[in-house]
Amino acid sequence: MATRNVTRYQRPWIIAFITPAMILTVIFTLVPAFTLLSYSLYGWESFKRGDFVGFTNFERLSNFPFRGDFGGAFRNNVIVFVTLFLVQTSVGMILALAIYRLRRGKKLFQAIVFLPVILSLVIVAFMWKLFLDPLFGPISSLALQFNLPWLNQPWLGQPGLALFTLIFIGLWRWVGFPAIVFLAGMNSINEEYIEAARIDGASEMQIFRKIIFPLLAPSFTIVAILTFIGAFEWFELPYVIGGVTGQPGGSTTTMALLFYRLAFGTVDSATVDVGLSSAIGVILFIFVGIGAALGSYYLRKREIQQ
Amino acid sequence: MKTRNRLRHLVASLTVSAVALSGSVLMAPMSKAANVELTMYSWRVEDKAFYESVIKDFSAANPGIKITFQSFPSADYQTILMSAMAAGKGPDIVHVRAYGALDQLVVPGYLSPLAANEVKGLNKYPVDALNSQRGFSDKRLFGVPFAYQSLGIFYNLEYMRKAGIQLPPNTYPEFIEQLKKIKAAGLQGLANGGSTHIEQMWGTIAPMFYGGTEFYNDVVAGKKTFTDPAFIKSLEAVQELFPYMPSNATAVSYDASRALFFSGKAAFFMGGIFELGYFRNQNPKLKFDFMATPPMSKGGKQFVSTWADGGFGINAKTKARPEALKFLNYLASKSFGAPFVQTVAQITAVPGVPIRDRQLQKAVSSINKWGTPYIMLVGFRYKNPTGSALLQTGIPNMLNGTKTAKQVADEVNKGVGTWFGPFAGKI
Amino acid sequence: MSAKFSKAKEHAAGRTPFAPIDIFLQGALVVNALGVFLPIIFMINSSFRNGADIYTSPLALANGIDLSNYRLVLTEGKFTQYLLNSFIVTASATFIVLLCGTLAGYALARYQFKFNTAIYLFFLAGLLIPAKLALVPLFIQLKNMGLLDSRIGLILVYASGAIPAAVFIFTGFIRALPADLDNAARIDGASELQVFSRVMLPLIFPVTGIVGIYSAIPIWNDFLLPLVFIRDTSKMTIMQGISVFFGEYGANWGALFAGLTLAALPLVILYVILSSQFIKGLTAGATKG
Repeated sequence: MATRNVTRYQRPWIIAFITPAMILTVIFTLVPAFTLLSYSLYGWESFKRGDFVGFTNFERLSNFPFRGDFGGAFRNNVIVFVTLFLVQTSVGMILALAIYRLRRGKKLFQAIVFLPVILSLVIVAFMWKLFLDPLFGPISSLALQFNLPWLNQPWLGQPGLALFTLIFIGLWRWVGFPAIVFLAGMNSINEEYIEAARIDGASEMQIFRKIIFPLLAPSFTIVAILTFIGAFEWFELPYVIGGVTGQPGGSTTTMALLFYRLAFGTVDSATVDVGLSSAIGVILFIFVGIGAALGSYYLRKREIQQ
Repeated sequence: MKTRNRLRHLVASLTVSAVALSGSVLMAPMSKAANVELTMYSWRVEDKAFYESVIKDFSAANPGIKITFQSFPSADYQTILMSAMAAGKGPDIVHVRAYGALDQLVVPGYLSPLAANEVKGLNKYPVDALNSQRGFSDKRLFGVPFAYQSLGIFYNLEYMRKAGIQLPPNTYPEFIEQLKKIKAAGLQGLANGGSTHIEQMWGTIAPMFYGGTEFYNDVVAGKKTFTDPAFIKSLEAVQELFPYMPSNATAVSYDASRALFFSGKAAFFMGGIFELGYFRNQNPKLKFDFMATPPMSKGGKQFVSTWADGGFGINAKTKARPEALKFLNYLASKSFGAPFVQTVAQITAVPGVPIRDRQLQKAVSSINKWGTPYIMLVGFRYKNPTGSALLQTGIPNMLNGTKTAKQVADEVNKGVGTWFGPFAGKI
Repeated sequence: MSAKFSKAKEHAAGRTPFAPIDIFLQGALVVNALGVFLPIIFMINSSFRNGADIYTSPLALANGIDLSNYRLVLTEGKFTQYLLNSFIVTASATFIVLLCGTLAGYALARYQFKFNTAIYLFFLAGLLIPAKLALVPLFIQLKNMGLLDSRIGLILVYASGAIPAAVFIFTGFIRALPADLDNAARIDGASELQVFSRVMLPLIFPVTGIVGIYSAIPIWNDFLLPLVFIRDTSKMTIMQGISVFFGEYGANWGALFAGLTLAALPLVILYVILSSQFIKGLTAGATKG
């Protein structure tokens, strides 16, 4: 046991060691979180707090005209999570397995796959915004030059299409992450299991399906939870590309975007509404918190059963 | 104890007055040199160099007052300004927008009201311009108006000749004919994209369909609503132009559609006269002209959407109101108005400034003859959701085929109806 | 751990038999590499061209290395200032995280005191609270503290956001270290601070690198907090600066691409040199070891 009971002499040292971290966390994380909760229960005039209104702000979210925005934003977050998770785990798995089975150049390909992950989402978003420009972007000129009508689409201009284009950009930037997490999971599998299976005559496909895949359960848990949290806090991509109003036609509005828009306004939107915004913040808070907790509990239970 | 205190007071006040006296007599030039530093925010990133030169001239005439000009992208400006003001920071001098977006600053008390006699010549400004700088319910004046804008059509005759067109259209049907002809020649008719800035394109033609000022007054009075067939027709007119917009138009950004026009790759750009200086700067070689939207038939009624664009206001929390006021006086004078017309190529609000630029003259005379309020900006940006926001999401949805013109009109009506009093009981 | 790791690798390298699926898998790697590099190459290529050329032929190659876009970005675009600000903010915040994190992690791992578990759980809870969502209260709080429009405000918020994770990782790591070393030092008469600085710090040095990267990269890349907290252009970070630049020079595509390239460059260079540390750092917590 590395820990030991404290002598009187040590106590001031412990306090000195822990206090700075505690103070910073309390002031800039804990206090704002609780303040947020209280803000959602008040009426607001710009950034001046008004009267206590109970749950009125939450009720307003469920009525016209905010109901549509809020419901749409929530639906978009769900779509983002589901699509991101499905595509990025499958593509990530393929890339991980590919690197895992390489004989040479593992390090190199690992670095390449991971490269976009280090780029800022703002840079990635602006870059793709230029790429996808229908007038001057390279993608539409490629489509015209090689006569590929399927490539020549209003990628960021059609509701229904725009959100998936954003998800694609998100994938471009993030797929290296699950790939590396899976790869690490594969590397930690005891080679002897695999050797034994090979000697028993199992095919490579069977080895993947019966041994590698099930043992990756912890990696799935982590990727699922991180994707869940990331998807519900999705902000930079829609903000940079669709703007604060979630263009086209509000189809790229996410909850974080709505939360920001209501707190800080838009070009021509006349009023900001801190109360409503805080209510969304609280809902997101609870949702992300409970979702992450439940997800990790359920997935861990499954891991044990395996 | 007490007497001693009193004595000290006396000595102190004597010293102060002595210093003040000697200051005012002997050190008069010194007090001028006591530097005051002001900041100014604006959304006119395009005119940064111009404003900096204005400030330089002003500082030369008023040594001791230094002003730093900071500009922010138009789309983020209101957000940035609002949160800076909320933070109790913000600039001393504020380039404010008009109508609803101004009200957003007036309601929380961020701006300092201006008395009529504080700015010289303010009484000569037209009433409409001054009204654009008043709050929605607070009717005091909060800014010195700075420009008028109008919507119309920019055209590139050189490009049109490639499709065999020699003259700009005289009527709206002729305009559509020309667009057809240009498209048939494999060329690009409209440079406009179909994203948020589509409201401007709509505003360029809409008054002709809904009936201009008459309709505006009826709606403001609550006699008509946005579900009026004439209003729906104005939306359908945009749909009719859709085939002549760039391919995948709904994804074309404002910057890209402007670039398409100024790089000489399209015949028409429908938008505000405020683009004039920008187009000239971006491509000095481009030969283009500006016209008011043509009437339905020769000699028919013409309408031009017009608005007062904004003004210069003072932060209620400034520590140097007299100095800021001095600058406002400068901005209300011809020493600002004349170079503003000359350099920025916009229509100044300063009364009595001659306009010699031919294209600007056209815009001014079209405003005088056919001006009608740019409906959503002037009348319906006071509360959330604004008429503009509803159109800016609605029209792209109509072009995408997800909504009909009628549905868009219904949504505008319903959204505006949540806060616009005269609509109560009509929706 | 590492011995087992390298043995496993050896096995894989030597023994993995070739299967038909490998053609598909290696094809996927090549496609992925193209997908990663082509956009980046396109971006760099376009940064050497002028806007009008890009409008006419988006796909063409640059005529040599023309640096005028970069000149514009660095001077009129104020990128020098933005990059400096980002560096100051990231470095200071990361330093605070490492200092607070190692101290608290050490105390939690090495001393059994009354509130040990409670404090550990407190930091665990801190991990679950995303600072992004408390944006409005933070905004008002910073305003009252006079820390809006200030690099110090940003630094403190960033640091506090990363501290819980750092404490977590350090506590776990230090718990796994044998206690004999610091006990021996204590017997030799070292003070608690000396035990920490002379014995502990050198031992946890490799982990500080990982925690440093884990904390620093998201701070460098962040956009939302400066967007809300910073107005003064002289204090903006690079990610905020690039969005301002896009607003001002929206029609000058050459300059836009130069700005993007310049904003991405510092991290990409570091990544090329330290890629495995980056990967370890950014996936810390998601992978074991």
